[in-house]
Amino acid sequence: MAQISLPENSKIRKGKYFKDKTGSKNLRKVNIYRWDPSTGDNPRLDTYEVDMDNCPSKILDVLNKIKNEIDPTIAYRRSCAHGVCGSCAMNMGGKNGLACTKPHSEIEGDIDVYPLPHLKVKKDLIGDLDGLYKQYKSIEPWLKSNSKSKKTEIFQSKEDRKKLDGAYECIMCACCSTSCPSYWWNGDKYLGPAVLLQAYRWIVDSRDEERQARLKKVADELKLYRCHTILNCTSACPKGLNPAKAIAEIKKMLATTSL
Amino acid sequence: MENKEPLSPHIQIYRWHISSLVSISHRITGIINIIAITIICFWASLLLLGANNYEVINIFLVSFFGKFIILALTWSFLFQVLSETRHLIMDLGYGFELQTTRVTGLMVIFGSIVLTIIFYLLGKNFI
Repeated sequence: MAQISLPENSKIRKGKYFKDKTGSKNLRKVNIYRWDPSTGDNPRLDTYEVDMDNCPSKILDVLNKIKNEIDPTIAYRRSCAHGVCGSCAMNMGGKNGLACTKPHSEIEGDIDVYPLPHLKVKKDLIGDLDGLYKQYKSIEPWLKSNSKSKKTEIFQSKEDRKKLDGAYECIMCACCSTSCPSYWWNGDKYLGPAVLLQAYRWIVDSRDEERQARLKKVADELKLYRCHTILNCTSACPKGLNPAKAIAEIKKMLATTSL
Repeated sequence: MENKEPLSPHIQIYRWHISSLVSISHRITGIINIIAITIICFWASLLLLGANNYEVINIFLVSFFGKFIILALTWSFLFQVLSETRHLIMDLGYGFELQTTRVTGLMVIFGSIVLTIIFYLLGKNFI
């Protein structure tokens, strides 16, 4: 059953306040979720005053600025800084996205930065995605072909290739899955939008020969049908993909084919 | 490790948008409708027991509170009908573009309110 409130050890306390030292006139308050595994304390919300006159446009730039100039203890994942790797997925201004592609000008008022929702926190803004990766593995995201003629290419027409558009671009940043209330309440069983989009990607691949088996595998009350088209996933996707539609397509395929 | 890893905040911090609002309202109105239908069925069967029961129900229905409840239920039923229609269309694979979901969501919210007003006026013989 869904637990709406946070467990006792996860309740967020008021944290430290880092006053601006640059004397800038153009300040913004940035509230960041902090949790240090080396202490027994609850998570806290630290507030930083950031000089926006000397800060580039994205949330990741704000975080880098804080880490470099104000508080080096803050932990977050980042790598490419160009929306390709998916490392810096987090919750900013109440919505999931990539810190490196999200402009801070899109957020009104104080900038609130939290880790991706409903995950076990490793440290500060770093959530534990092991469960999601295990689910990803469970759908066997690789080409399965039993064809004996391995010496030639497996031909795929342009039309068939087109079916993969909107599915193959996924960078597995987990913005969608962790935005989904169904995934919050049933994340241990429901596969969630990210993994289902990938399941769809292999189901519609014309070169794959295990289509039926793949469909059978996801045809499950909990794995698939926990999607209630809340559409948080589609609105969260930083790559502009549509996991909700992919899930609907899988449901449609299951309703129209006999397994 | 002394402290178990905390759970990051979820519904406490996630911003609502039209589709999630329509979705949660669909569930809430669904539960209300089931309860309402059950009560209405009980009332209907009470009528078999005589005129007294009719009187009691009638007094309730013409009271201000009774009227409010009827109007609220009218909205709740209409919301359910519109939202379910939206879901049926989605089940066919249409209307998943972000902008479309916003528009259809707003149509459900405002449509149910407008229809409730029309039903009220119809009941009052105004139109």
